[in-house]
Amino acid sequence: MTQEIQRVSPYFSDPAPANALIDDAGGHFRVHARAYTDQAIFDLEQKQVFSRIWVYMGHESEFGKAGDFKTTHIGLQPVIVSRGEDGQIHVMLNRCVHRGAAVCRELRGNTPHFICPYHAWKYSVDGRLQAISGENDPSGYSASFDKPEGLRKVPRVDHYRGFYFASLNPDVVPLADYLGPTARQLIDRKLAQAPEGKITVQGRPFVAVYKGNWKFQSENIIDGYHFMYTHRSFVQLQAKYGDTTGDFGVHKGGSAAEMSKNRNLGNVTGGVHGHGINQKPVVGYDDFFTGAFAGHFSALRDRYGDEELRWVLGMGAGCIFPTFGLIHNQIRVWRPIGPALTEVTIYPYSLNGAPEEFNQGMLRSHERFYGPAGYGAVDDVEVFALNQQGLSASDDAWLIMERGMEKEKRLDSGEIEGLPSSETVHRAFWRQWRRLMNSN
Amino acid sequence: MNDPARTISRTEAEELLYREARLLDTMQLREWLGLYAPDGLYWIPIDETQPAKRTASLVYDDTPSREERVYHLEQLPFPAQNPRSRTVHMVSNIEVLGLDEDGSTRVASSQVIYETRTGDYTQIGLGEISTIVASVEYRLVRLQGVIKIKLKKILLINREMPQGNMTFIV
Ligand code: FES
Ligand SMILES: [Fe+2]
Repeated sequence: MTQEIQRVSPYFSDPAPANALIDDAGGHFRVHARAYTDQAIFDLEQKQVFSRIWVYMGHESEFGKAGDFKTTHIGLQPVIVSRGEDGQIHVMLNRCVHRGAAVCRELRGNTPHFICPYHAWKYSVDGRLQAISGENDPSGYSASFDKPEGLRKVPRVDHYRGFYFASLNPDVVPLADYLGPTARQLIDRKLAQAPEGKITVQGRPFVAVYKGNWKFQSENIIDGYHFMYTHRSFVQLQAKYGDTTGDFGVHKGGSAAEMSKNRNLGNVTGGVHGHGINQKPVVGYDDFFTGAFAGHFSALRDRYGDEELRWVLGMGAGCIFPTFGLIHNQIRVWRPIGPALTEVTIYPYSLNGAPEEFNQGMLRSHERFYGPAGYGAVDDVEVFALNQQGLSASDDAWLIMERGMEKEKRLDSGEIEGLPSSETVHRAFWRQWRRLMNSN
Repeated sequence: MNDPARTISRTEAEELLYREARLLDTMQLREWLGLYAPDGLYWIPIDETQPAKRTASLVYDDTPSREERVYHLEQLPFPAQNPRSRTVHMVSNIEVLGLDEDGSTRVASSQVIYETRTGDYTQIGLGEISTIVASVEYRLVRLQGVIKIKLKKILLINREMPQGNMTFIV
């Protein structure tokens, strides 16, 4: 069956190309290599995926005051995100409406306005066109000039508890519905770790570019299966050094056997809109109330109770479809550059109201696992390149995503719950990808 | 104890920096550990204007963390160093800048590090030579007559930009 699809149904002549790239007939769930390698599929994703749904733009703490801005992307399209004089967050294309030059060349900053470097058209920080240089020159514009309002606004901007998203699709579903109950629960639990219920993006992010498809990162951040294998050397380091070199209790369990046991706690949930959420109740719960931060954790227990606090403090990871991730104390964003080129940015954050030493400890743990010289993320990035490498052996075209298929259940919300190291979350991702790629 | 009466000359600093480069390029990492003072720091900031405690650095290694790093590289196989990196450190523009308040000698240098992965060079991610370019500042101290590194601070010229695999020692 799969062999036939590969040979006789080249997706590019198929009116619904993604159908040919996912084989879920007869107990299979397999994805075709071209979904990761093909330029035509990549181009179609820009239109069908990135231009139609919510894409993460930034966190409110990055835009504390009017005039604060950063540059980012919706798929391949460069945008500016800013806080205007009106206090609102605005998202606009980083492209002058005159003849197309980029108007902002900085990663982030604060400015009263943007002035295009080419002919100096001037825009307010929320993108309104304020002045055209030489507008009334003899060689200027006619009285009937169809003057643009300003930089092209991304039509929908909304946030969930300070996490800002934008959509190029004016008819996109409301953000809270898009996230769905389990992604909202994950965000709520992340914020519940902070005494003030808020976080602050802290310091500068780690940035990596890898030679692989963007969907490898979407799959990997909630892949409960790989940790004990890809990160085997980290597991061994933990057994030997653990917190003494800065893990700060983030990765629970001393021995490999204990870590493996902890990895099999909790569950994963595949969301209706393709999100994957992985949550585990914390182990060693009682230790939180005797250690250095007992006061901090006791106050959280008074607020949330034992049952919920076990989940709040537990390991929570999410891939919010398509390119936004939460894991430990970080916000992760990745962006497609080409079929085999992706940029990943990892922002650490601190918990507002938590003890200073606690937030500092989390930063050291972040460096130790997620930095380019660290003991975790750099191995994931290496794997993404060797994934892409392997797929050039194109005669064997299918990837198998069938772990835990028999052990999942459908929740009332329509979400699907599976076991911790199953590929339930990957299947949810790919079903949504197919839905978007096929629909008009 | 540091002996402030005997300052460290440029020749002495050069000998130490060249030796460090050779130890790293020949993977004599235990000997590299021995170049550091007990309170030494191996530091690669992203934003050197912020206090290191309150921002993430690319590397922020005190003595236990340097030992862990060397153990990881020498004893444990992991994907990012399997196959291994090979490096050449080029060290130049060495200048003694003067004494720090704590009696350590500040030494400036410019360094270019070439790195490549061994293995099947036809594969994605292997077979290229990457370049790391940095201003590297040292604080050196003389302990029991031996010059040791109290600080190696590596300011990459592209420190806020994407970084590649830096799992070898820079
Ligand atoms: S392109 Fe911006 S002012 Fe001309
Ligand atoms: Fe991983």
